[in-house]
Amino acid sequence: MKQAELIEILTEDKPRVKLPLRQFYGVVWSSVKMMFAYKSWMIMDLLSTFASVVMYYFVGLQVNPLSLSQTGWGTNYLAFALIGVATSNYLWSCLVRLSHSIQHEIRGGTLETVAVTPVDMLTFFIGQTVRGYLVSLILLVGIFVVGTGGMGVEFQMMPGPLIAALILFILMLISNQALGLIAAGVIMVYKRGDPIAFLVASMNEFLAGVLYPLEMLGAFPLLQAISMMFPYTYALDGMRRALILGASLADANVLTDVLVLFGFSAVLAPIGFAVLNWGYRTIRANGSTSSY
Amino acid sequence: MKLEEIIEFLGERVPRLEVGVLEKVKAFVIRDFKTWWTYRLWVLLDITGALTSVATYYFVSKIVTPTALVSAGYTADFLTFTVIGIAFQHYVWSSVSGLSEAIRDEQYDGTMETILSSRTSFRVFLLGESVFRFMVGSYFLIASLAMGLIIGAKFNLTLGSILSAIVLTILLIASHMVVGVLGAGAILKLKEGDPIVWAFTWLTQLFSGVLYPLGLLPGYLQWIGAAFPLTYSLDGLRRCLMNGEDLASAAILGDAANLLLFIVVMLPVSLWVFKVAYDSTRREGALGQY
Repeated sequence: MKQAELIEILTEDKPRVKLPLRQFYGVVWSSVKMMFAYKSWMIMDLLSTFASVVMYYFVGLQVNPLSLSQTGWGTNYLAFALIGVATSNYLWSCLVRLSHSIQHEIRGGTLETVAVTPVDMLTFFIGQTVRGYLVSLILLVGIFVVGTGGMGVEFQMMPGPLIAALILFILMLISNQALGLIAAGVIMVYKRGDPIAFLVASMNEFLAGVLYPLEMLGAFPLLQAISMMFPYTYALDGMRRALILGASLADANVLTDVLVLFGFSAVLAPIGFAVLNWGYRTIRANGSTSSY
Repeated sequence: MKLEEIIEFLGERVPRLEVGVLEKVKAFVIRDFKTWWTYRLWVLLDITGALTSVATYYFVSKIVTPTALVSAGYTADFLTFTVIGIAFQHYVWSSVSGLSEAIRDEQYDGTMETILSSRTSFRVFLLGESVFRFMVGSYFLIASLAMGLIIGAKFNLTLGSILSAIVLTILLIASHMVVGVLGAGAILKLKEGDPIVWAFTWLTQLFSGVLYPLGLLPGYLQWIGAAFPLTYSLDGLRRCLMNGEDLASAAILGDAANLLLFIVVMLPVSLWVFKVAYDSTRREGALGQY
């Protein structure tokens, strides 16, 4: 083979797939395949989640229905706790999943490999979050099935409350994922800070009232003020109002929660994308896409 | 060099330094401490996680009625009940899962084969790997109990109840080392997942009375709790720390006897299970595989 032929072969421009949707599908599919490679973990996670529902059922037997109803959340503690437990999986997934996944790619040296392909990195990063959403969705459905089918919990299933809960849920995902994008961007550059993201997630879970009515924080104004800084607090409040009390978007409290979450999303989402973009450009510029 | 000379050279018995078990365990502890201390931020985070769990149940305790606790023979104090449950359950979970994780890390890094090909028996290896995990667990235990005390948990302490609680804690550690060794054997062979520790964790959360007295469970579920050492440990410790009872109490003596029985029966079984897994992994040459 002549030198000129060789050069021609190597310089040949092969058209590559550039459609964002195809790329997104590819990233998601690879994540899903990896997820199902760890079947035993999936089964263990699922069974542990069911066990936690049963555990809160027995905790609920000790709760005084009158005390719970005085806080305005009905008389069924299990219904109250289930909404918190089911959505807290999503909270963790939004806040820490992407940064964890990027660190994993950096350690495995695969982020650099993906970066030299024509895959759009924003598509790649968003695709990486889907696996966490899928796992959380499986757990959420499992929790509600066990709670309603096995433990007799009754939620308000009319269209009005369901639509309100769905909107609040979507806004919860957007606002918390935006925080997750910020964490991922910072962790990408500084290679540390994962513990901070975990700390924020666990404080968020504690102060948003996953297992207790937020009214209990009234005696601690500082904690109450901090809890109001997390979007999850409003999402949990609104979803409980919808699914336990049957409130729809016409309810002033639910509408306030929606508006606050919309505000969080509108402010945090552009910041999240900007920080993620900055993080990626920085590690490319300083050549640290595979160093940790 | 002639063949005989080479054989003689390679076959020479060089006397090795005899190191006692205590020295080896000390070396394991120092090594693990150095590794642990490099992750200071994670240590802080782990403590925060344990403390927020305790604090969460402070708020839950405000809406709980303690009737079931009184029926079970404890003082009417849900906060103290859950503080003891969470603190000791977290203690055994972190110690037991820490041992499995340590075995996994040794396999992953390829250091397990190196250690076990030296003059360190697998029993000393297991003891060395366990001790530091229980030391770290104790750190979390004290932090959780102190947090409980700060937020209003009330412990009824006498010299007798403190000494009895110490005896029960020693039995708790010994009985859960057994569970840890079983988990380590499973991870050695299976290399993924951690079925023993996982099953132990969620079954004890459900059936050992961490957050509620066992009397709330239907009768057909209560017998499951009777199979776990944590059930007896929590019952005895609560009677000591909440009620101020000591080993002179029949209930606490019964708990201590059950724990002792568990250790006597299960320790040889767990060591045998680990040995079978260890020998099988060695035969396959898979000690360094993950």
